[in-house]
Amino acid sequence: MSSFLEISGVDMVFPTPKGSFTALKDVNLKINKGEFISLIGHSGCGKSTVLNIVAGLYQASSGGVILKSAEVKEPGPERAVVFQNHSLLPWLSAYQNVELAVKQVFSGKMNKTEMKQWIEHNLQLVHMDHAMHKRPGEISGGMKQRVGIARALAMQPEVLLMDEPFGALDALTRAHMQDSLMEIQSQLNNTVIMITHDVDEAVLLSDKIVMMTNGPEATVGDILQVGLERPRNRLALAQDAEYNRLRSEVLKFLYEKQRKVESLTQNKQASKMQDMSQQESNEAVKFSNS
Amino acid sequence: MNWTATLAQQIIRPLLLGMSIGASICISPALAEVGYPEKEELKFGFIKLTDMAPIAIAYEKGYFEEEGLYVSIEAQANWKVLLDGVIDGRLDGAHMLAGQPIAATIGYGTKAHIITPFSMDLNGNAITVSNDVWAKMKPHIAKQADGFPVHPIKADSLKPVVDEFKAAGKPFNMGMVFPVSTHNYELRYWLAAGGIHPGFYAPHKGDTSGQIDAQALLSVTPPPQMPSTLEAGTINGYCVGEPWNQQAVFKGIGVPVVTDYEIWKDNPEKVFGITAEFAEKYPNTTIRLTRALIRAAKWLDDNNNGNRPEAVKILSQSNYVGADYEVIANSMTGTFEYEKGDKRAVPDFNVFFRHNATYPYYSDAIWYLTQMRRWGQIEQDQSDEWYKDVAAKVYRPDIYAKAAQSLIDDKLIPATAFPDFSKETGFKAPQTHFIDNLTYDGNQPNAYINSFVIGLKQGDKL
Amino acid sequence: MNSLTSIASNRLIEQGRKAAVMLKITELSKLILLPFIGIAIFLVMWTVTANSIETSLGKFPGPVAVVEQFENLYSEHVAEREKAQAFYQRQDERNAARTANDPNYVAKIRGYTGKETFWDQIITSLITVMSGFLLAAIIAIPLGIWMGLSRSLQAAINPIIQIFKPVSPLAWLPLVTMVVSAVYVSPDPIVSKSFINSMLTVTLCSVWPMIINTAIGVSSIDSDLINVSKVLRLSAITHVQKIVLPASIPMIFTGMRLSLGVAWMVLIAAEMLAQNPGLGKFVWDEFQNGSSDSLARIMAAVVVIGFIGFLLDRGILALQHWVSWDK
Repeated sequence: MSSFLEISGVDMVFPTPKGSFTALKDVNLKINKGEFISLIGHSGCGKSTVLNIVAGLYQASSGGVILKSAEVKEPGPERAVVFQNHSLLPWLSAYQNVELAVKQVFSGKMNKTEMKQWIEHNLQLVHMDHAMHKRPGEISGGMKQRVGIARALAMQPEVLLMDEPFGALDALTRAHMQDSLMEIQSQLNNTVIMITHDVDEAVLLSDKIVMMTNGPEATVGDILQVGLERPRNRLALAQDAEYNRLRSEVLKFLYEKQRKVESLTQNKQASKMQDMSQQESNEAVKFSNS
Repeated sequence: MNWTATLAQQIIRPLLLGMSIGASICISPALAEVGYPEKEELKFGFIKLTDMAPIAIAYEKGYFEEEGLYVSIEAQANWKVLLDGVIDGRLDGAHMLAGQPIAATIGYGTKAHIITPFSMDLNGNAITVSNDVWAKMKPHIAKQADGFPVHPIKADSLKPVVDEFKAAGKPFNMGMVFPVSTHNYELRYWLAAGGIHPGFYAPHKGDTSGQIDAQALLSVTPPPQMPSTLEAGTINGYCVGEPWNQQAVFKGIGVPVVTDYEIWKDNPEKVFGITAEFAEKYPNTTIRLTRALIRAAKWLDDNNNGNRPEAVKILSQSNYVGADYEVIANSMTGTFEYEKGDKRAVPDFNVFFRHNATYPYYSDAIWYLTQMRRWGQIEQDQSDEWYKDVAAKVYRPDIYAKAAQSLIDDKLIPATAFPDFSKETGFKAPQTHFIDNLTYDGNQPNAYINSFVIGLKQGDKL
Repeated sequence: MNSLTSIASNRLIEQGRKAAVMLKITELSKLILLPFIGIAIFLVMWTVTANSIETSLGKFPGPVAVVEQFENLYSEHVAEREKAQAFYQRQDERNAARTANDPNYVAKIRGYTGKETFWDQIITSLITVMSGFLLAAIIAIPLGIWMGLSRSLQAAINPIIQIFKPVSPLAWLPLVTMVVSAVYVSPDPIVSKSFINSMLTVTLCSVWPMIINTAIGVSSIDSDLINVSKVLRLSAITHVQKIVLPASIPMIFTGMRLSLGVAWMVLIAAEMLAQNPGLGKFVWDEFQNGSSDSLARIMAAVVVIGFIGFLLDRGILALQHWVSWDK
C-alpha cells in the first residue's frame, strides 16, 4: 500500500552563474495521514526547498512528490502553506485575509453565511476572533502568524506545510504558539510538515523528526520517531527521560554528525543554538567570536 | 422598389426645388439672389496685424451674424500654420498674404488651390532698421528744414552700411514675414532699387533660403516677434505690417525708414483666402462672407477714417492685435511716426475700401507673380498668358461682383462705391508710383520683369 | 503644608500648561507663520527686483500690477459673458425669423463665437490635461502591470520606453498634429482637432513615468505574496485584482504624480507651440501682443499655472491617501 504522501528520489539542481548547484540529492520520505513531521537541519541544508517542492512552488529536477496517488505539479490549496513571515496581505483585515482563501476554496460549496461562520470559526481556533477586523499592520507578530495559520487551516488542506512558522517570534510568544498549535492539532489531526531550527519545538510537536544532512547534495540523514504521548506538556516533559533522550539524539545529529561551522553573518542562528543546548554553547560562542 | 424610389425622386425633387425657390422669391427678394449659407459655423484665422481689421470689424459690428454666419476668429502663430490650417480644413478662411494663395496654387511651398474673392487692404507695411543701422544711414540722407530727413528714403543710403558690414565680415540680416509675403517682395524691391542684392531663390536645386548672391540676407520671422528679434540683434532690420513698426518706435529699439506706400503707392496687401473647394461646396457662404467683409472694409474707411479710433479700440483687444491703443492708433488714424517725434500725416497708409481696395484685381496677382519670377521662386520663363491664367485661377472678382451687386441691390452700399462691373477687366491701368520710377502694366508681365536692373530676366536660369 | 504643595503643584501645572501653549504656538508658527514670512519676503524681493528690471514693454510687473491684471481678467470675463448672453439672444431672434420664412429650417443653437477669457482658458487646460492624463493612465497602468508580471514583455518593451521617455513634447507635437489631421476626419467633430492634438501630446509625454513606475511596483511585489496567490490558485484576474494592484498602488501613484506633473508642463508648452486653446495660448498671445499690460498678464498666468500644478499634485496625493491601504 502506498503512503499518503510520498517524496521519492527528489533531486534539486539550481543553475547559478558559477555552474549548477545541487541542493538536494535523492530525498526520500513517506508520510502517513495525520502525521506531524518536523524537518530539521542546519540553515542552507535545503529544508525549505523540500517544503517548496511539496507545496508545488518548486519543481524537482528529478523525482517527485505523490499526494494521495496523484503527482504534485503545481501549488494548490490542498497543500496550504504557513509562511515564515506570515505573508498576510497588508491591505486586508485578518478576516479578509482568511476570506480570500475561503472564497477561493469553497466558492460554490458554501453559501455566504456558511463562509462567514467558517472564517470566524478558524479565527476562533487561533484565538484571533477578538481582532479579526484589524489589519496586519495593527497587530503583533504572533497574532499575524496566528492569522496565517488560520488562513491555512481554513483551506482544509490535505497537508499543512509550515515554513519555520515561529522562527521570527520571541521565545515566550513562540512557546505560546506551540501550545496553541498542539491544541489545534489535537482537534483536527492534520497531516503537517513543519520546518524548524528549534530542537525543543521539533521534539515537542512532532511524531517524526526528519533530520537533514548539510548541503550541497543535502538529503534525509536520519528519521527519529517521537513516541511521546499526547497531550504533551512542556513543563512535564522537561523532566521526562525519553524527551531528553530524543532531544540529545537530534543535537548529536546536528552537532556531531552534521557539524557546521557558522559564519559571523549567521550569528543569530548561533545564539539560537546557544539557547537550545548548554553543552554546545561554548562552541557557539566561540563561533560567533571568530 | 429601387427604381420606383429613384423615379419618384426624379420627379419630386425638381418640383420641390421649384417650390422652394418660388417661396423664397415671394418672401424675401434679397435672399433669393444669395441663398441661406450652406455652412453657418466658420472659423477664420489671422495674424496679429492691423490689416486683419476687416475680419474683426465684420465680427464686432455684427456683419457676419447679419449674413447668418457664426464666425469665430483665431490668431495663428505664423503664416505657415495659418496656410496649413486653411488647407487642412481647420480654418475655413483666413487673412492671408497676397502671395500665399498664388504660391499655393502654383505649388511653390505647399500645393493647394486657394482662391481669393476679397482683397483686404492697400499699403500698411514699412521697413524698420535698428537704431545702430539708422545712425549709420543718417549721414547719407538729405535733411528738411526742420532737421528731419527727406522722405522717401531710398536704399541707396543703406548701401554704405551694408558694404561696411560686408567689409567687417559680418552678415547683414533682415527679417521678413514669409517667403511669398508682400513684405519679402517690398523689401527686395526697395533694396534692389538701392543697388543692394537681396538674393535669389532656386527651388529646383532645393535652395529655398533666397540668399543666392545676396548682399542682405533675408530670413523669416513671424510679425509679432519682429521687434524682439531686432532687439536681440538677430536681425538688423525688417519689413512688416503694423503695429510692429510703430512698436519699434515706442519701444525705442528701431526706426522705420520707409513705408510701402512710398515703395509702391497703393500696393495691394492682404487678401482673404479660402480653398477653391470651399467656394465650390458653399457658394452662398462664400458670397455672404464676402458681403460681410466688404461692409466691414467700407465701415473702416467711412467718414474719412472717422471710424478708425473705434476700430483701433477693437483691435487693441487681446484677442485681436492686442498691442496698446496708442501703438495701433499711430498708423491706423492716418499718421505714421518714423523717427521718434517725426510723426507725419499719411492718410492712405492703411486703405481698406477707397480706391477699390477690396476688389481682387488680376493685375495685382500678376505683380506678385512677376516678383516670384524676378527672384527665382518661379524657376523658368512663363508666357504672359500663363501669368493671366494663374491670376484668373486665384483671384475671383466674379464672386466679389456677386457679393457687391447684392449689397447694391439691398441698398446697403451705393453702386458708385464699386467699380463698374460691366466694364471692369480686372486690370488696373499701367501703374507708375514706384520708388524706382518704373511702370507696371499687368498685361505685359514679361516686359516688366525685363525692366529690372537686379533680378532674373527672360531667359535667365540659375 | 497641604496648601503649599497644592500651590506648588498648581504652579507646576501652570508652567506645564504654559509650556504646552508655547509648543502649540511654535507648531502653529511653523505651519502658518513661517510660510507667511517666506511669501512676504518673496513678495518684497519680487517688487524690488521687478522695479529694477526695465524691458522694452515697460517695467517688469510687480505683485501689485499682477493683482490689477487679475482684476482686469475677471472683469473681461464678466463682460464677455454678457456679450455671450446678447449673442444667444440675437441668435434666437434670427432663428425665429428664419423659421418663420423657411419652415423646413431646423433651428440650431451655435456656441458663442467670441473670445475665450482667461477663465475659459484655465478650464480648457484643466480638461485637456485631465483627459490626456486619464488616457495615459488607461494605457500605462495595464501595460505597466503586464510588464511587471512578464519579464519577457519587460525586456521587449523597456528599450522603447527608455528611448521615448526623454522626448520633449515639442518633438511630438508636429507628428501628432499631422497624424490627427490625417486620421481624425469628421465634418462635424465632437471635439476639436486642437483638443485632440494637445491631449495626445500630453498622453505621449506622461505615459512613460506611469508605465515604468507601475512595472517596477508590480515586479517588486514580495515573492511571499505571490506564493500565497499561487497556493490559493488565484486566477490571473483575481491575482491582479487582489494582490498585484493593491501591492503596487504606492508605486503606481508615485508614477501618476510624476506623470501629472509632466502632463501639466507639457500641456502648457504644447498649447504655446501649437496655439491650441488653453493657458499656454493665453501666455503666447499676450507675448505676441506686446502691449504694456502683457507682462503682468503673463505673470498672472504664471502664478495660476503654478498654483494649478500644485493643486493637481495635492489632488493626486489626496486620491492616493483615499485609495491606498498604506496610510
